[in-house]
Amino acid sequence: MYKLTHVARIYQKGRKKVPAVRDLTLEISDGEWLAVQGRTGHGKSTLLNLLGGLDRPTEGSVELDGTDLAGLRDKDLTRLRAETVGFIFQTFNLIPTLSAADNVEAALTPLHGPGARRGQRVTEALEAVGLADRAGHRPAELSGGQQQRVAIARALVKEPKVLLADEPTGNLDEDTRDEIIGLLEGLWRERNLTLVMVTHDSSVARRAQRVGVMNKGRFSIRQDTRRKDAGKQGARDDRKKVAT
Amino acid sequence: MFFLRYLGGEIRSRARQAFAIALGLAVGVGLVVTVTAASAGVSDAQAGVLKGLYGVGTDVTVTKPPPPQPTPGSGGGGGGGMRISAGANGKPQVCLSGKCSSGAQTIDTLTSSSYSPLSYSDVSSISKLPGVAAAGAGLDLTDRVMTLPADMGSGGGMPTSNSFDVEGVDFTHSKLGPLTDGTFTSGHNFTNADANSNDAVVDSNYAKANNLKVGGTITMAKKKFTIIGLVSQPQGAKPPDAYIPLARAQALGTSQGNALTGKVNTIYVTAASSADIPAVQKEIQKQLPSATVTTPASLASEVTGSLSSTSKLANDLGRWLSILVLIAAFAVAALLTVAAVGRRVREFGTLKAIGWRSRRIVVQVMGEAVVMGAIGAAIGVGLGFAGTAIVNQIAPKLSATYQTPSGQHAMMMGANGPTSTTSTVAHTVSVPMAASVSGGMLVLAIVLAIAGALIAGIAGSYQISRLRPVDALARVA
Repeated sequence: MYKLTHVARIYQKGRKKVPAVRDLTLEISDGEWLAVQGRTGHGKSTLLNLLGGLDRPTEGSVELDGTDLAGLRDKDLTRLRAETVGFIFQTFNLIPTLSAADNVEAALTPLHGPGARRGQRVTEALEAVGLADRAGHRPAELSGGQQQRVAIARALVKEPKVLLADEPTGNLDEDTRDEIIGLLEGLWRERNLTLVMVTHDSSVARRAQRVGVMNKGRFSIRQDTRRKDAGKQGARDDRKKVAT
Repeated sequence: MFFLRYLGGEIRSRARQAFAIALGLAVGVGLVVTVTAASAGVSDAQAGVLKGLYGVGTDVTVTKPPPPQPTPGSGGGGGGGMRISAGANGKPQVCLSGKCSSGAQTIDTLTSSSYSPLSYSDVSSISKLPGVAAAGAGLDLTDRVMTLPADMGSGGGMPTSNSFDVEGVDFTHSKLGPLTDGTFTSGHNFTNADANSNDAVVDSNYAKANNLKVGGTITMAKKKFTIIGLVSQPQGAKPPDAYIPLARAQALGTSQGNALTGKVNTIYVTAASSADIPAVQKEIQKQLPSATVTTPASLASEVTGSLSSTSKLANDLGRWLSILVLIAAFAVAALLTVAAVGRRVREFGTLKAIGWRSRRIVVQVMGEAVVMGAIGAAIGVGLGFAGTAIVNQIAPKLSATYQTPSGQHAMMMGANGPTSTTSTVAHTVSVPMAASVSGGMLVLAIVLAIAGALIAGIAGSYQISRLRPVDALARVA
């Protein structure tokens, strides 16, 4: 579970101080899907970087399962990202000279697992996103949607606890967007991931359990459907029990 | 293996840039190989000249300057204590070591006039010095045949003379000296059984010019010697025209009218290693203070001609030029690598974001650099071979000029009266230069190319280690 307490991130631009995130207090439960909206430059990506250990807060604490990320050394943060956090980027960020399978395997390289098991995990990850038949293709040979699927496979191959997605459908057309969001939603449910997604797209944000808004570095919750979802899911489970 | 697939994919996809880096390294390395090969060729040519003067295996030679010749009126004259004069009646008179005779005659003398004699026992004592592996001796003589006419007065004839160089060969102590470098074209070399025999080995060029053959004879000091072999010496040498056993040379030769029994005039020394040569030179000089102790280094400094100037050019200008080009090649490789890393900021930022440590990324970049270095080494070696071949094609024949004592003496009129000086004769030999690439140079080329690539890799790696993933990813956004 994430616990952010009075977190601020202030950048120094010459003599000027630019607050990207101001006094943010937030808890994100395990298995929750939180969407973050807001205008460009209001701190959405900064929040994601803080959650992923890519950046350190100027003030406050960012705790993940009780560990303050700000207090970790760089190599421990790197280890955390290798084992616990999966990233999905707007521009996919695949390595152009590697095949789809090798791009997915790149996420396993820091974990030093046995080679044979690695190959199996890569295959399973690509199968999960429906791209097992494109394993040998390079990014330039794949469509935008396929590239983002490979990026999702790369993020999930290490079986992370947390998935951080920064505008995952920002570069995709409408149909592909729906496809990708549907895939992410399915994987989120299936694997009980904690999913934090930055998006401009309200139709995408609405599918999340909670929607937060970053406005000039300040965070507020706009929509919270967690109890309703829990209730709906509970009713579905009850109906299943009765049927059997 | 992921590392190799990533590396191979990177090299293939950025082939042009990788080739540019490799080519830059190759040019520097190729120039180093070419200059080193040319320098080695010049050194070999120099060594060949010196070897021709000394013979194989000789590191140090010991001689003694010729004694000053008596000036006119001091009671002596001519070479070897000989004086020739035309009598009042025009009949020539020859006085040789105090004995005089007149009328038409042929005089055949075997004399040592280039160097003063040394004791043969010095060879043994020198061989026992620290750092000396072997020592041998030789007796460098000149056979002069002078034919005097019956009448040297007005209307009469003039004396004619002919001379050739003779080396007394010592086969007792070791096989050193000018004969060791020769190749027998006919007949055979001396054996120990020939130590006191009237046998001779003749230089093949002298034999050809004088119509001499194996089985024929050659006269020295009025003694007939049977020719047992003809020997050809390498180009660059100024070999004796004939070789006879040392004992016979000592028995027949004279120096200023004195017998040469138990004497030599050149001692050849082999040092235990090239590092021992200076120390050996010093020890011998201490033992024989009046001797001239010469090493290849000291003789090399006396060799002039285009060989000498080419050697300076290759060693000085060539070396500095190749160092400068190599530095430039390393700098270009480093700049290109840093630029390449700069273009891959997003890639490396992403890798850091998904959990790669800087160290792991550095290993990847260094691996790519090493591969480019290996490619550069391969191309550089090829360029080096090509450069060496071009040098061999276009290099002019070199010449080496060195001075040796002529055995002739000149009278000079000075403020204090007449003085005698020993003249030298200049020998100029044409020396072929053959630049060649050795195994050591190939290793050097590979090491230099890899080193240059590693330097380039380190320059790029420094960038990577300072890269913050959040900054790298923000650039993309």
